[in-house]
Amino acid sequence: MNNYSLKNVLKKNTMIIVMFVVYIFFVITTNGSIFSPSQFTALITQNAYVFVLGAGMLMCMLTGGNIDLSVGSFVCFIGALAGVVSVLKQVNTPLSLLIVLIIGIIYGVILGYLIAFLNIPPWIATLAGYLAFRGAGTEILTKVSTTSAISNFPEPLLAMFSGKVFETPTGTFNIPCIIAGVIAIVAVIVLNFKSRADKVKKGYEAPPQGYVIAKSVALALVIGLLTYMFALDGGIPVVLIWVVAIMLIYNFVCEKTVIGRHFMTVGGNGETARLSGINNKIVMFAAYLNMSILTVIASLMVTARFKAANSFAGQNFEMDAISACIIGGVSAYGGSGTVFGMAIGAALIGIINLGMSLMGIDQNWQKVVKGGVLLAAVVFDIWTKRNSGKK
Amino acid sequence: MSDELRSTRLSGADVASFFKKYMMLIALMAVAVFFNFATDGRALYAQNITNLIAQNAYVFVLATGMLLCILTGGNIDLAVGSVVCFAGGVGAVMMDKNIPWPAAVLIMLVMGLLIGMWQGFWIAFVKVPPFIATLAGMLAFRGLSNVVMGGYAYSVTNTTFLNIFGGGADCYIPDILAGVGPEMKAGDGTVLNKFCLVVGILFAIGIVVYTILHRAYLRKHDYKVPALVSTIIKTAIICVAVVWLFYKLSAYKGIPTALIWIGLVLGLFAYITTKTTLGRNLYAVGGNEKATRLSGINTKMVMFKAYTLMGLLAGFAGVLNTARFVGAQPTYGMGYEMDAIAACFIGGASAYGGTGSIGGVIIGALMMGVINQGMDIMGTSSNYKLVVKGLVLLLAVFFDVIMKMRKKGGVKA
Repeated sequence: MNNYSLKNVLKKNTMIIVMFVVYIFFVITTNGSIFSPSQFTALITQNAYVFVLGAGMLMCMLTGGNIDLSVGSFVCFIGALAGVVSVLKQVNTPLSLLIVLIIGIIYGVILGYLIAFLNIPPWIATLAGYLAFRGAGTEILTKVSTTSAISNFPEPLLAMFSGKVFETPTGTFNIPCIIAGVIAIVAVIVLNFKSRADKVKKGYEAPPQGYVIAKSVALALVIGLLTYMFALDGGIPVVLIWVVAIMLIYNFVCEKTVIGRHFMTVGGNGETARLSGINNKIVMFAAYLNMSILTVIASLMVTARFKAANSFAGQNFEMDAISACIIGGVSAYGGSGTVFGMAIGAALIGIINLGMSLMGIDQNWQKVVKGGVLLAAVVFDIWTKRNSGKK
Repeated sequence: MSDELRSTRLSGADVASFFKKYMMLIALMAVAVFFNFATDGRALYAQNITNLIAQNAYVFVLATGMLLCILTGGNIDLAVGSVVCFAGGVGAVMMDKNIPWPAAVLIMLVMGLLIGMWQGFWIAFVKVPPFIATLAGMLAFRGLSNVVMGGYAYSVTNTTFLNIFGGGADCYIPDILAGVGPEMKAGDGTVLNKFCLVVGILFAIGIVVYTILHRAYLRKHDYKVPALVSTIIKTAIICVAVVWLFYKLSAYKGIPTALIWIGLVLGLFAYITTKTTLGRNLYAVGGNEKATRLSGINTKMVMFKAYTLMGLLAGFAGVLNTARFVGAQPTYGMGYEMDAIAACFIGGASAYGGTGSIGGVIIGALMMGVINQGMDIMGTSSNYKLVVKGLVLLLAVFFDVIMKMRKKGGVKA
């Protein structure tokens, strides 16, 4: 058995290949307009929330295919709250952020308690939140404004969650962006080789030299391309930093920490996990508390992007986050899934959305396609598992 | 003390278990009384009672289907709202193109059935988790209804269709006894629909006769017969409620046709869930799927049928909805899945499957209806309605879970 034969490598990275195929498809159908600096920025800024919510949803799904349906409505509610606090009450930015974060934590604690300790099925507990927060968010916004929206957010708050780092005019090269890109490429290459060296030293099975080189080259090319595009379009979008930071943190937590592995264990076999001394309830509780905190961040990103809190903000966000996980190979029954996979899923959804919008496909067909992609991803996941089980 | 005597006396424990059993019914009455006071009695106007039924017909129909899915193990269908919209849209567009209404209704039902089979296939045979399969359906059919209607609203003008399925101004059974005997009037002078009253009284008599026969049957076959007193109280309450309801209806325009459809659907599925093999299989699968499979029942087929029937009922709810709103719009049916799910849980269906009944669905749907309408009459904004609905749903499940913990004698570690 060679884990690094071409066939196995391709099999393991099906979704990445699908992503490239889809991307090339859209490059052709949009006459290359998707392959432009401004569209690269759009891809990140429009879909940053999917990555953030996807990370939270991943933790919930790992514990046994549990989901949170309330994230979209909670995004709306937190946006409205942030508007009231920071715009209408003129509270300074750090304090407003603290207030919405505390509200998020309170909701997370309540939700986690209901689900983990009272055994209320997650989709019911979060369905209640889905209804209640949409109503509450809309009510707040209609009460305080005739247009059911709050705008004029303070500049510091917007700058934290939108815009670009060291912005330069479009078309000129943004130097900080290029420096960051070069550092990222070097870091990725060093880490790849170091990881192989460690494995060889400890006598684990290590990938062949050629594989590491190929992987490093591919990653360097992708990062290089992104750097080039962002540099031409004014710099690194602020949300990209959030997204990368969250991805790195959650990847570390999931892969390298005890608590992270507990999520997988509980989802893999709850009874075994409990008998081996893991406190399942705490793990479950942590998953939902974590989800609420990430939802607050996602909400601020969305609010900052629109520069306003809207009553329709966050609609169907739960679907996007769940789809990102499922497409990224997270098991719908829990126990397996990676942050990297989820990120690929989120990027794929983003590309499909952007591509369809650029092609001028109307919103309704987009919904149909989204539903179809979600179903196809689960079925694909189930079928590949069934086949590998037969062998 | 003889057995006969003991069985006719109510002990303290009986009273406690009575309250436990009818908790939701009591809660329903409390909520109705609350809204009656909060609206200065307007909530119980004859017209409002009639509207309560007509407006919430879809909740009864969808909750019936949802019950079947929930029984199989707490599975749900999130797509029903979109399916109602899609089926309704297809029908409205067809009628707009002058296709006769029976054909349109048939197509709507077939659409619902096919969608149900499609979802059932993925859920039962491919083992796609229900919430994902139906989430995909929720997105896709909402999009498709927009496509079908091209983003426009269609109105339905065929009065026969509207009258039959409970829409428009004349969707009531006419008073065929109007000329017979003297005219009857209510306290405030409104003329009563005599046919409606007679039907109500006959219905109440039917319940009494059924109860007596049922007790005789139980005694004959040596089953445990419930205490006479509690049977009498229960039957009396039901009969009073039925007669009161029909009295209210007769003081407005008579029996709304929607009520007949609700009655048919509920009656049919009460029969299916309690007396047929399929119905009992639904409970068995939800109670213990593995044991059911090992005892030779095709659990996949049971699951498939549950979702197929759900689809069919969603199609039928689409028909009723199109009539009720005298047309179709791409935004109709949003949040209907929540109403249906909430009605089931308020009615005592277990979120883990295996328990629940049509009787419970009726109470749950009425509760949702009373809350919806009460808040409408009070002029509460639709946003608060969402908040209240969410909390009611949570409370109902919370209550269910707490009850079960008590029964088990403590929280499982």
